[in-house]
Amino acid sequence: MIYFAGIDIGSTAVKVVVIDEDRQIIGNKTVATGALVFKNAQTAFLALLNEIGLQRQHVSYLTTTGYGRKLFKDADETISEITANAVGAREAGKEFGTIRTIINIGGQDSKGISIDLLGNVTNFAMNDRCAAGTGRFLDMAARNLEIEVSDLGLFHFNAKSTPAAVNATCAVFAESEIIGLLGMGHEREEIVKGIHFSIAKRTIKLVKRVGIEDLIYFDGGPALNKGMVAALEDELGRRLVIPEFPQITTAFGAALIGLESHQYEQQEQQITEQTNAANAQSCQGSCSSCG
Amino acid sequence: MSTELPQHQVETSQQRHIRHQGMEASGVLDTVEKGFGGNPEAMQYFYDLFRDVYCEGIKPHPDKEMIGTMCVQIPDEIIHAAGGIPVRLCNGFYTDEEVGGDFMPAKSCSLVKASLGMLKSETNPYSDGIKSIINPTTCDQKKKAAGMMREMGYQVYDMELPPVKESEEGREYWRRSVRKFTHEVGKLTGKKVTRKNLKATIKQVGQAQLTYHRLNELRKNTPIPILGKDIFMVTNAYFFDDLTRWTAATEKLCTEIEARVAEGYNAAGRRSPRIVFTGSPPVFPNLKIPLMIEQADGVIVADETCSSNRLLNDMVSVDEWFMYDMVDAIADRYLKSCTCPIFTMNDDRIRRLIELVRTFKADGVIYQAFSGCSVYEMEQRSVAKAMEKEGIPMLYIETDYSPSGTGQLSTRIEAFMESLKVRGRQK
Repeated sequence: MIYFAGIDIGSTAVKVVVIDEDRQIIGNKTVATGALVFKNAQTAFLALLNEIGLQRQHVSYLTTTGYGRKLFKDADETISEITANAVGAREAGKEFGTIRTIINIGGQDSKGISIDLLGNVTNFAMNDRCAAGTGRFLDMAARNLEIEVSDLGLFHFNAKSTPAAVNATCAVFAESEIIGLLGMGHEREEIVKGIHFSIAKRTIKLVKRVGIEDLIYFDGGPALNKGMVAALEDELGRRLVIPEFPQITTAFGAALIGLESHQYEQQEQQITEQTNAANAQSCQGSCSSCG
Repeated sequence: MSTELPQHQVETSQQRHIRHQGMEASGVLDTVEKGFGGNPEAMQYFYDLFRDVYCEGIKPHPDKEMIGTMCVQIPDEIIHAAGGIPVRLCNGFYTDEEVGGDFMPAKSCSLVKASLGMLKSETNPYSDGIKSIINPTTCDQKKKAAGMMREMGYQVYDMELPPVKESEEGREYWRRSVRKFTHEVGKLTGKKVTRKNLKATIKQVGQAQLTYHRLNELRKNTPIPILGKDIFMVTNAYFFDDLTRWTAATEKLCTEIEARVAEGYNAAGRRSPRIVFTGSPPVFPNLKIPLMIEQADGVIVADETCSSNRLLNDMVSVDEWFMYDMVDAIADRYLKSCTCPIFTMNDDRIRRLIELVRTFKADGVIYQAFSGCSVYEMEQRSVAKAMEKEGIPMLYIETDYSPSGTGQLSTRIEAFMESLKVRGRQK
């Protein structure tokens, strides 16, 4: 059996996925990116191999993606996270139907990707440098409200009154806005819900630039947050496809691209060998050039 | 680890500024020169020129009267005829952009900020000691920059350009503007423009344009014989280089590239998407986006920018070599062919882009707008619409000179290249 690995080195987390020839996920791992980006990615990769009982040489093709993709010199191929996300979402969302639009909210950026019926990226939009309305923003808000990021969903659904209006999407301005709202006596639940709606509005505005078509797939860390999902669905007025492991879609896509590249290389090699063999036969070794 | 800290040497702000400029320029030069491989031999002239002027402080025109120009619309022919050396002051240094940022609004054009910053700190690599600047009334930011340049002590000549180019009024307005300039430029240089001189300089500049054309035409070939980063170096050198030397060096490059075409040489990758570059002008050392495109396995085969193609594409066409005819012909060349978004209507730009995509067999368009350059930002909509109608993929990038944010930019550019490659395979 041969295996393929995809490593998505994101701004917040490193995601590693190993698949087999049948495109099945054998194992996955998510760790914090930290400051020692390459070292943490390398450690996570080796740790995952260890957990699933594989050696480095069992991995026939390694593909890296994410903003730190070029740090991994050992990789056979690097691919942008947009292409990798599209390939991963198409495969992971297969059981629901054909994915046409992807909404991705990552640690420092948010994206809208539209894909055609063949699964190719036709258009995409991405936020600019500023991390407004991304996972980083949720982190900051949770810290200010003194709650765990994993509890944001719970707080969202526990809001009893209208969500607080959070207008700022800039993390810096929003921080003072949140403090202001707390000072005015708003419940944390209302503020959390307000934040989710503020991010949802901004994200959908971005995704609209590429056109929104069903099915819509939502991934990235914030897709684990049920409150965020609900806010996006309410703003869109449509259901979203949420994968089982929303964080690893892009790493999975990278592994799949590796599998395809590997197969393509094998085919090419086969063709070359066949041609060589055919040539050798037809000339019957009468000249010295092919030895 | 030693606990003793080294003695800190205090340098003047100008010393630091020049050192930062040098670091910035040599970093970009290293990438251009060593980052790709397969450089044409004749490019060495240009790499050396930039290194001399930008890093070593060697002046290209010692003891000559230089006239600064702030836009592509200032007629070089007339300045040459008056015995001046036109040098384009549009600047690409991030170091200078930071200085200019001190007295410009936060959301304003990087190029204007950098040009003002350079004039303020008097650290232009090629035009130190410049006194006179010709500033056309093109975009609002350049217009208002004139006042700031006057405050800094420069002698500024406002060259009036109409906001409409289709109308007869606009054409006449501009012709009068150019006629007036022809009369008055002598006051700046100390030498009058004569019929004989003007005829000679029209031919001289025309020869440079002809050479550029010869080079540019070669980019229509598949495989592509030369990378876009080298073309930007050649056209950027035209900003300040001696006209005759530049033309000779470019001719040499043409001969080498023609030989490359004859042997089917490929300067790019096997499946590199062919790109037309448009929008806010890349000016050395801000070749950020062009370099990213070619580092992502794309290749720029043509451009529609005022720092490159628009600078040299259109020639003066004279019927009769009399003063009035020549001056009016010069005026027409600078107005009619200009596809700057400052004009009310700019359908010419869209037509030119489509034509470039077709004739240079491009796979897609990359549109750069400096954030704060409202005219390019606004025109993005109509260009995007037109490209969509033609089925030409386009990537719009809003950026500035700052080196941060390159991670997200390169992701976008790479994803665009990947999607173009897939399209190419399906064709």
